[in-house]
Amino acid sequence: MKQSVKYILIGLLLFFRVSLFGQTVIDLRFNELLITNTEDFQDDFGVHSSWFEIFNIGYGAVDIGGCYLSNDPNDLKKYPVPRGDVLTKIKPRQHILFWADNKPYRGSFHVNFSLEDSKVLILTNADGKTILDMVTLPTNMEPNQSYGRVIDGEGSYGPGSDNTGWDVLARTSPSTNNYTLDGKSRAAKMKETDPYGWIMALLAMSVVFLSLLILTFVFKGTGRTSIRLSQKKADAYQKTKNFSVEDISGETFAAIAMALHLYANETEVHDIETTILTIEQVRKNYSPWSSKYQFMRKMPETRKR
Amino acid sequence: MDQIINNLQQFWEYTGFANATFQHILMICIGIGFLAMGIIKEWEPLLLVPIGFGIIIGNIPLYPGFSVGIYEEGSVLNILYHGVKNGWYPPLIFLGIGAMTDFSSLISNPKLLLIGAAAQLGIFAAYSASLLLGFEANAAGAIGIIGGADGPTAIFLSSRLAPDLLGAIAVSAYSYMALVPLIQPPIMRLLTTKKERLIRMKSPRVVTKMEKIIFPVVGLLLTAFIVPSGLPLLGMLFFGNILKESGVTRRLAETARGPLIDVVTILIGLTVGCSTQADKFLQLDSVLIFALGAFSFIIATAGGVLFVKILNLFLKPGNKINPLIGNAGVSAVPDSARVSEVVGLTYDRTNHLLMHAMGPNVAGVIGSAVAAGILLGFLS
Repeated sequence: MKQSVKYILIGLLLFFRVSLFGQTVIDLRFNELLITNTEDFQDDFGVHSSWFEIFNIGYGAVDIGGCYLSNDPNDLKKYPVPRGDVLTKIKPRQHILFWADNKPYRGSFHVNFSLEDSKVLILTNADGKTILDMVTLPTNMEPNQSYGRVIDGEGSYGPGSDNTGWDVLARTSPSTNNYTLDGKSRAAKMKETDPYGWIMALLAMSVVFLSLLILTFVFKGTGRTSIRLSQKKADAYQKTKNFSVEDISGETFAAIAMALHLYANETEVHDIETTILTIEQVRKNYSPWSSKYQFMRKMPETRKR
Repeated sequence: MDQIINNLQQFWEYTGFANATFQHILMICIGIGFLAMGIIKEWEPLLLVPIGFGIIIGNIPLYPGFSVGIYEEGSVLNILYHGVKNGWYPPLIFLGIGAMTDFSSLISNPKLLLIGAAAQLGIFAAYSASLLLGFEANAAGAIGIIGGADGPTAIFLSSRLAPDLLGAIAVSAYSYMALVPLIQPPIMRLLTTKKERLIRMKSPRVVTKMEKIIFPVVGLLLTAFIVPSGLPLLGMLFFGNILKESGVTRRLAETARGPLIDVVTILIGLTVGCSTQADKFLQLDSVLIFALGAFSFIIATAGGVLFVKILNLFLKPGNKINPLIGNAGVSAVPDSARVSEVVGLTYDRTNHLLMHAMGPNVAGVIGSAVAAGILLGFLS
């Protein structure tokens, strides 16, 4: 196999691998965890257990079903998140909460290990090998104090994650944002910054002009190139025009004569039934959008009295 | 007997007569007015007839709860309205527009693109005016886009920025697009001298097939990289155009510019008309939107014409542009180009401006899609 073909195939494989992950579970991140829970959130059974939260950073829903959770780097498949549970589907930019109470029989969201005796928390892809995210658990946490990403989903992630972007949070926020955005919409902020819209007008008109100016220059360039190429063709034609009949072989004339003969006898071009008028239906896909009549409608006229 | 009387009484309560209000009747009259404009005057009939009829359908007084009205979950009209509300129809219309538009005049004289940019001034003038009148910035952006004179773009943007105002914005945009032959000529005459109106432009050069194929690819890459939020409109516009120009996808191009755009036009026109239900439509905001729409059209036209005059200061005598094509920078294709032609002919019966005006006209389509992308990027 040629070297270049090999490179192309490897490139394609890498591309598809990346693009497949790009749309699926690669968008999942550990977002917050609480190791010692004595008086924080209770689970559905009214029990205080350690918990951790996973956040979907993407803008499409992601199903965590089939992935694995573990607290042991040597056993990545420790807790398989059940498939087929509709609740394992995480909506865009939303969270899901797992209880680390070592009681997996209590439902899909109760894992078979506890955070209190763990050093690390690992999320692995359905292949059981690819680590999607991991977080090293802090050792100096107070009870009921949570550790999480300061801004949801942001910071280091993946197998080599060094907990950048993580910190002790001021308050616990299971199944909700760690960082609450300012309630004002972008439009409201824009109105505050630019109450008369002049900055917006100036900025936006500049962008519109810039876009179309770039297009103008590009097409001026392509136009010039096109004219130059046409000129070259015309020049080449001019050069070939100066020939002598003696230079052409008899075979060429024979070929031309044969082509003309065939063309003249082409039944599709000339109807040989000279006395019969044949009417062939011409199909035209009519659309009022392309109708000349619609385009050329009357201009409004003032009635003269 | 009591049962029959009760049933009759209930039947009467369900009828339009029992539920009719003055607002319903007024909106039905407006719908009939749209139909008259479309059928008798032939102003934008392909849009005004479906919208006008839609206004009548949408304002039949209904007893609520039968899943019939456009705003009632699960009704047929409600399902069709999803295409407007979620912005599905406008990109499909743009696909058809791309498949029917010949960009040759623009490619042969690329500086005409800048006229399409200048005419977008109307959008941002209306944006500022809307803010001054107390509209929120997102609503102001949606109202401003009326000045782009592009119905699908107006619907697309208002569905994202101000869904509550969608009906008023869409009806206003299409109304003024229909009135382009009435609105633009006085402004064009006012802003030009007789000498300028007589300027003869150089004939556009012949554009090669390769240039026509390169245009949609490069056009998409450049505009969408600068304004990715305009991708649904720009992507479909240029996609439609490459279907047309590639020469190998004739069937797809014919479908896009024929049956597909016709179907979507029917649906968009009808549902936009239906969305003008009296209780939602007849408000002070709608009146203000109509006034701002007129203002934006006037500024857009003036912007295009004045820009040509400024541009002419820098052009050599043989290359001057007739400012009467400046109005075509608003993207009401092809009506504003047609206005340039007709107004130009009144001053010189042999000076045909239609082909020249088509350049800024299609540039206006690109320009308004870019402007919509910017507004979406800043305000959504």
